[in-house]
Amino acid sequence: MSPGPILVVDDDPSILDMVAQVLDFEGYPVQTAADGAAALDAVAAARPSLVLLDMRMPVLDGWGFAQALRARGVQLPIVVMTAAQDARRWAKEIGAAGYLAKPFELLELLAVVERLGPRPSA
Amino acid sequence: MSADDFLQLVTQALYVMLFVVVAVRAAHRPLRANVDVALLFGVCSLIIAIGGITTALRITPPPALAAASGTLLLALPYLLLRLLDDFADVAPWLMRGAAAGLAVSAVLLFALPTPLPDWLALLMVAYFVVLVAYVAIAFVRQAGYSSGVTRSRMQAVAWGSGFLGLTLLAVGFALAWPDRADAWTMLSHLAGLASGLCYFVGFAPPTWLRRAWQEPELRAFLGRAARLPRLPDTDAICRELEQGAASALGAPRATIGLWDEAARVLRFQYTGAVAPAGFSVDARPEAAGRYAVRGGEFELQPGQLLAGVAFAEQRAVFSENATRDDPANTALYEAHGVVAVLAAPITAGERRLGVLVVYAARAPIFADSDLELVRLLADQAAVILESRALIDEAAQVRAREEATRLKDDFLSSAAHDLRTPLTTLLGQAQLLARQARRDALGPAYTAGIERLVREARRLSTLVTELLDASRTERGQLVGRREPVDLTTCAREACERLASERHPCQLVADGPVVGDYDPVRIQQLVDNLMENAVKYSPEGGEVQVRVWQEGAAARLSVADHGIGIPADDLPRLFDRYHRGANVDDRRFSGMGLGLYICRGIAEQHGGRIWAESAPGQGTTFHVALPLALALVAEGGAA
Repeated sequence: MSPGPILVVDDDPSILDMVAQVLDFEGYPVQTAADGAAALDAVAAARPSLVLLDMRMPVLDGWGFAQALRARGVQLPIVVMTAAQDARRWAKEIGAAGYLAKPFELLELLAVVERLGPRPSA
Repeated sequence: MSADDFLQLVTQALYVMLFVVVAVRAAHRPLRANVDVALLFGVCSLIIAIGGITTALRITPPPALAAASGTLLLALPYLLLRLLDDFADVAPWLMRGAAAGLAVSAVLLFALPTPLPDWLALLMVAYFVVLVAYVAIAFVRQAGYSSGVTRSRMQAVAWGSGFLGLTLLAVGFALAWPDRADAWTMLSHLAGLASGLCYFVGFAPPTWLRRAWQEPELRAFLGRAARLPRLPDTDAICRELEQGAASALGAPRATIGLWDEAARVLRFQYTGAVAPAGFSVDARPEAAGRYAVRGGEFELQPGQLLAGVAFAEQRAVFSENATRDDPANTALYEAHGVVAVLAAPITAGERRLGVLVVYAARAPIFADSDLELVRLLADQAAVILESRALIDEAAQVRAREEATRLKDDFLSSAAHDLRTPLTTLLGQAQLLARQARRDALGPAYTAGIERLVREARRLSTLVTELLDASRTERGQLVGRREPVDLTTCAREACERLASERHPCQLVADGPVVGDYDPVRIQQLVDNLMENAVKYSPEGGEVQVRVWQEGAAARLSVADHGIGIPADDLPRLFDRYHRGANVDDRRFSGMGLGLYICRGIAEQHGGRIWAESAPGQGTTFHVALPLALALVAEGGAA
């Protein structure tokens, strides 16, 4: 069975698209969601291997998403992506495996994905 | 000595003592009321002296002396009436009638042989009793208009006059009913003692009695005063204080002038129930030239008018006749019916807050009590105005804190909003750069894209620097603390920044652990190292040292760069300061980096400094306390 895709969750469409392009260019399978609720659906449907999670989003925010995930007993590494000063603290709060403070370097993103994500397919 | 003799002796002693007290006071302060009081008891003492001498010599007084004694006795009601006239209206016909009655009595006393016919003696007694009763009633009425000590003193004087009337009435009864003469004489002597006591209490009350009388007045004033500082503004407080002062003194007008330190003037307001200062804007247009009248305000220089004098000389001022004591402003006082002025400075410790002025159309009878009360009220006003100032200050602090919070919220959300497009910009540009390299696009493309990446990074740095600078300014840079190893921080920074162009050397014996905000300490170390790299020439080694020195953790970063001119060193850590020898095109940045570094060091309770010589490189030093207990202030532990 092939490893699950990387799920990118962000309410800003251009960031969502940019991150998806980067990961796609590097050969990772990618799924996107614009808020926490859509992300929960995507988790159920696509069984991702890593979630890159924005924290402040409409409908269901990052905290809500992480809580719902834990409630369903889903074990899944999360990387917090946020433009706020508290990236590090928030990552700790929801038990995330890492964090990316926006704006992040492309190499930082790739390093995190390499450490936690699936093997890229060529 | 019989009991009756003793009674008389005590009464006489009382009157003579009272005369001494009021005479000293009149000599000290020759106010009209004081002089009239002294005159009244001077006459009493004279009558007592004549009686005493004739008794001591065991002689029957010669007719002329007896007549003089009788005339003096009959002068007492007239003198009381005069005293009453000093501070209350007495009908002119009554004054003239009393004078005429006295004159006629004197003529009859000297002209007719003794003893006088009973009917005439009784007529004279009636004259005396009626006038004294009138005075007693008038004092009771005046007491009703005033309050506090003055009220009690007036009541005492009213009682004294009543007993004085009774004294003579009893003498009259003794004449009319000779068979019960002993009883009437006894009553007369008792009433005489009572009148002496009451007069003493009224005209020369001992201090403890004044305090006791003042107490309820003060209690009421303080009760009201307690809620005064809560009024919406200082003006409202002043209006209340003015009303309180006017009613406490039974005066028609009281006003407070507040000292404006910047303009160096006393400001009086026109608004409020009590017409302040008694000066209306339009009443004296010609005064506008001499006294600044502006809007609803009236301004006085220190020393101008009696109020200004009280303020300038920082002492209570009393004038029973303002036009006499301040003749330069006669027209102004007359235009507003001001006769007497009581003014006291409102001063809290060393702080001059203003002046309290009470105006009256007549001179008060007990000026000393009133002046004391004005002084007391001015002191209370100072306390109230000071607490008001404190409340205002606290509100300002709260408002400033709220403004700071709003600014912080604004900056945080502005930074957040700026970073979102920056994330896309930086990521997209870096993706393009990777794609360009992999697809071997022309170097021209790559250079252009690299420029995009560089500018996006620079913008990102600026956003962070601005936010950090704002937090530094407010001392809110340092957040949650935890044990942090400086050596690890330095090693990480060294590994990250070292390159072939700039080797990095770390010198440390072992871990140096302190209680710090890990993010900020790493930022401090990174920033110093980035600076060292930035200003170092090609191949220039950067040396980082970490060690412990007493209770301090020490870190130094040395480079072999362009160095810092001595002139720039003191201002190196100031906001927006950049060295004179820094080429703006080569080195980007807003000049906030070292300012933030200083903020991080100082908000951890430490300090930062630099040593440098141009051309020979620079060494930055940081000293941080190891234990949190040594930190004077800081974020949450």
